[in-house]
Amino acid sequence: MAEIYPSLAQCAIVAAAFKILLFPAYKSTDFEVHRNWLAITNSLPLWEWYLEKTSEWTLDYPPFFAYFEWVLSQVAKLVDPAMLRVYNLEYDSWQTIYFQRFTVIITELLLVHALQMFVDSSRGASKRAAQAAATSILLSPGLLIIDHIHFQYNGCMYGILIASMVLARKRSTLLWSGLLFATLLCMKHIYLYLAPAYFVFLLRAYCLSPKSVFRIQFLNCLKLGGGMAAIFGTAFGPFALKDQIPQILSRLFPFSRGLCHAYWAPNVWAMYSFMDRILIILAPRIGLPVSAGALQSVTRGLVGDTSFAVLPDITPRICFALTLIFQAIPLVKLFIQPTWDIFVGAVTLCGYASFLFGWHVHEKAILLVIIPFSLVALKDRRYLSAFRPLAVAGHVSLFPLLFTPAEFPIKTVYTVFWLVLFLMVFDHLAPASNRARFFLFDRFSTLYITVSIPLIVYCSLVHGIVFGKSYEFLPLMFTSSYSAIGVVGSWVGFMVVYFTS
Amino acid sequence: MAAPSPALHKPRRKAKRVCNGASSFVAVEESLSRTPSFPLAAFLWPARSSASEWEILPLILMIVGLFRWASSLWGYSGFQKPPIFGDYEAQRHWMEITTQLPVSQWYFHDLQWWGLDYPPLTAYHSWLCGKIGSIIDPTWFALYTSRGSHDPTLKIFMRATVMVSEYLIYIPAVVIFVRRFSRLSGVATWTSSVALVAILMQPATILIDHVHFQYNTVMLGFVVASMSSMLAGRNLWSAIFFVAALGFKQMALYYAFSVFVYLLGGCLFPRINISRLLGIAVITVASFVILVLPLIVGTLYDVKAGVDYRPDLGGSRPPLPLFPQLVGYLDTEAFYYPIVEQMVQIVHRVFPFARGLFEDKVANFWCALNVVIKLRKYPTELLQRGALLATVASIIPPNLILFFRPRKLLLPLAFATTAWGFFLFSYQVHEKSVLLPLMPMTLLLAGNQGLTKSVRAWVGFANILGCWTMFPLLQRVDLRVPYTVLTLLWAYLLGLPPTSFSAYFQEGSSLWSQWFTVFVHGFFYLAMALWHVFEIFLKPPPEKPDLWVVLNIGVGAAGFSLCYLWCLSRLVLESDILPKSWTGSRIKSKTQ
Repeated sequence: MAEIYPSLAQCAIVAAAFKILLFPAYKSTDFEVHRNWLAITNSLPLWEWYLEKTSEWTLDYPPFFAYFEWVLSQVAKLVDPAMLRVYNLEYDSWQTIYFQRFTVIITELLLVHALQMFVDSSRGASKRAAQAAATSILLSPGLLIIDHIHFQYNGCMYGILIASMVLARKRSTLLWSGLLFATLLCMKHIYLYLAPAYFVFLLRAYCLSPKSVFRIQFLNCLKLGGGMAAIFGTAFGPFALKDQIPQILSRLFPFSRGLCHAYWAPNVWAMYSFMDRILIILAPRIGLPVSAGALQSVTRGLVGDTSFAVLPDITPRICFALTLIFQAIPLVKLFIQPTWDIFVGAVTLCGYASFLFGWHVHEKAILLVIIPFSLVALKDRRYLSAFRPLAVAGHVSLFPLLFTPAEFPIKTVYTVFWLVLFLMVFDHLAPASNRARFFLFDRFSTLYITVSIPLIVYCSLVHGIVFGKSYEFLPLMFTSSYSAIGVVGSWVGFMVVYFTS
Repeated sequence: MAAPSPALHKPRRKAKRVCNGASSFVAVEESLSRTPSFPLAAFLWPARSSASEWEILPLILMIVGLFRWASSLWGYSGFQKPPIFGDYEAQRHWMEITTQLPVSQWYFHDLQWWGLDYPPLTAYHSWLCGKIGSIIDPTWFALYTSRGSHDPTLKIFMRATVMVSEYLIYIPAVVIFVRRFSRLSGVATWTSSVALVAILMQPATILIDHVHFQYNTVMLGFVVASMSSMLAGRNLWSAIFFVAALGFKQMALYYAFSVFVYLLGGCLFPRINISRLLGIAVITVASFVILVLPLIVGTLYDVKAGVDYRPDLGGSRPPLPLFPQLVGYLDTEAFYYPIVEQMVQIVHRVFPFARGLFEDKVANFWCALNVVIKLRKYPTELLQRGALLATVASIIPPNLILFFRPRKLLLPLAFATTAWGFFLFSYQVHEKSVLLPLMPMTLLLAGNQGLTKSVRAWVGFANILGCWTMFPLLQRVDLRVPYTVLTLLWAYLLGLPPTSFSAYFQEGSSLWSQWFTVFVHGFFYLAMALWHVFEIFLKPPPEKPDLWVVLNIGVGAAGFSLCYLWCLSRLVLESDILPKSWTGSRIKSKTQ
């Protein structure tokens, strides 16, 4: 088959040019976080990495990421040694900015490679669709906003995730898929949310015989188990020697944080808080008790732990239970029918469940849903119609991450560009399903997408003109409630597609 | 579960069955080339057959806007460079004086601090921007206290004014021009979209307007609008647009000769059309009057209100800066005299005859010659006369052709050649003026054969060389990164050196001319690359601190002269002005 244009490499080059131009753009505290980690890993012995707390941004990623920072710091030493001093807080010389921003672009090559693997693994008519999906991930406004402006290394890590998912496509590389995913877990523990799907898939497709569930393939189990043990051993072993595992775990899983993050991530809890807000107004009329303590805190829903005025409070236990339940449902189907498409669907649904019901979810985690979903969004038009509201809601929900006026045109125009381009292209490429589509769902999703325009206009312009600096939570609340509707809607839609296809 | 076969695909919209002339061209092209020959074509490749122009255009406008805005995050000219800062401060200062001072003082106020020296339309534009900005934050344009302000929000506002002005004038003008020009030249819609992106991503304009800071695209936009009106046969509109361009920035004079000659030629050939000529003349004069009318009315109003245009002089009237003999003929106490003073002052400010042959280091003929012969030892009179003669000599050939063959398709070539002539030989050239010849030359991409390798190679060569000669200017304010990224990106998109040499080898043109281009361009690209290496790693010898800049000028002037010659030779060939037998053989030898 002839090559499809534009190729991923061409897109990557032009995107890289754009990203370099964004070097002087706004950067969040995550920039300082990563600078601090460079300093910690470079200047301190291994066993102090997870103990060091000069900066408030302590190392709270698993060890492989710390090793990764250590490797980067070896180059950083040549660029500007001053950035590697732990006490040099908030240091941002232009060399530091260029270096750190540049490492994000370079490590993103892993993503490009993984996407190329994905395209190459598709055959025949779906290759064109695979190329379009891969391009959409590469140019994703989510990655642009989070990695290249806000500052993080998601591109690299999603590259590993995609590579591992592509390796799962062939029986011969299943083992490597599992091991790569284990490596990823040792880099960033947020991917634990997707682990149940991997567990079930590898268990069924690799550890058990394809013919019968009751025949265990011991050699495969041994290979996978041994490999995993080696990977986790390399990551955590050195720290286990000094009994630092509890310390690391307390850094990785800080349960003291609140239900909602600083901005509400567009999940079920955002809708729940929104309901609570409305009930505060309505409660006296319908005679519900209002908790006075919760009313007192002005920053409700903005920072720290959330207490609800009317509705019952949510505990981490409830979140955990709900997440597990909604992850388990799709996994049953995966266990019965362990094909690659179902696997990707299950990974997506695991991402959905944890994003929607998780404790202290950050809105950046929406990529956990969007990126795996993109891989199957073009399977047929039913998938696409579930993907559409997610694409809009997920990216709009990232807007509050960037609040400086200079970046406003970039985030909005880029996202609109991406949405127009890819929703148009996907529409051309997605084949019709052999099942009827839900008519109303399509109409609702069109309506939903249309609503985003006045919403963005209100949040970015009208609100500032009408209210000035007061009621700052209003645009945030509207954005996250709006996005939550989209994410939940697309989740329900995708569940239906997943179980009926 | 195999993917359903494509036959099942039921698009909700019916595909358009309309087959117009343009899409048949696409079909031809598609069958000719299976793979895109340069990356920019690859990016638009999927839109080749199906997508309509109205689906692509918004995307193009968004993406070029994104690149512009991202570049504008970088520093601007004069950033943290006291005492006098740079172009950014000049533009900001004009917003300050036009909004804070009475109209009659605009061209007289404190000329030492970036006095207004652009024509009235710039003043009105500054006034409008200043008024809008003052609503947001009045301190940005407060008189005196705002000088040298580096408020980051002000920067965003200023950048936004450049962006909005460009999207209101330059971009619509270019979009319409490209449509008309490519239709006239029989180029397919898809190909013209590729050319449109190439033109809008031109690095020099982005670097100067959105990074270094100026409003050149407003003036260039009016010129493009004027050219595009010529293509549509609307000569009166073209006169109006051109007056607007001149009224915004006097640099548009580079094109004035060609505009004049084309419009005049259109009235004389194939037969003399006096009414058309009169119409154009009347409209031009009327537009000029409307252009200065606000100033005249403002001055009269100020006189009536008793506002002095030079409050610093305490009532005494300075002599006219130019044409002092006028006083002998005019009544200095008459009501019209303040208007005369204003007009003379504008001319005096806009055309600084008193300055030297060249102000800074510019890659034009004089500056390059200055390396060999020290020109400063000659009297200014002689130099001015020499410059005038050389300029006229260089612009006569293209304009004679345009005069006798006032054809629409020749416009960009004639404009480019004339502007190159002005840039190379005229008096008081600034390095940023290279934008003027580059603009019509880049528009060639939208014409017949515009994206073929030979045209791409030459247009690309001129643009990259143009950016390179502006490097010393950009480097002074630490703009190496946007310079490198934007220039290389454009070279990459169009498949040009240093990213690719594919533009130099094509089937169907003579080996001799191919190797000539390869050799000449190769030499210049090598020189540019080596120059960058030297400039980074080697310090110039202490007795010649300007060595790198001087080398830059020399190479630049030589390269630009080649561009002038190339444009002129193409103009000669395409105008059929030479006897058929002669050009026929030459064209044949080219297509072999």
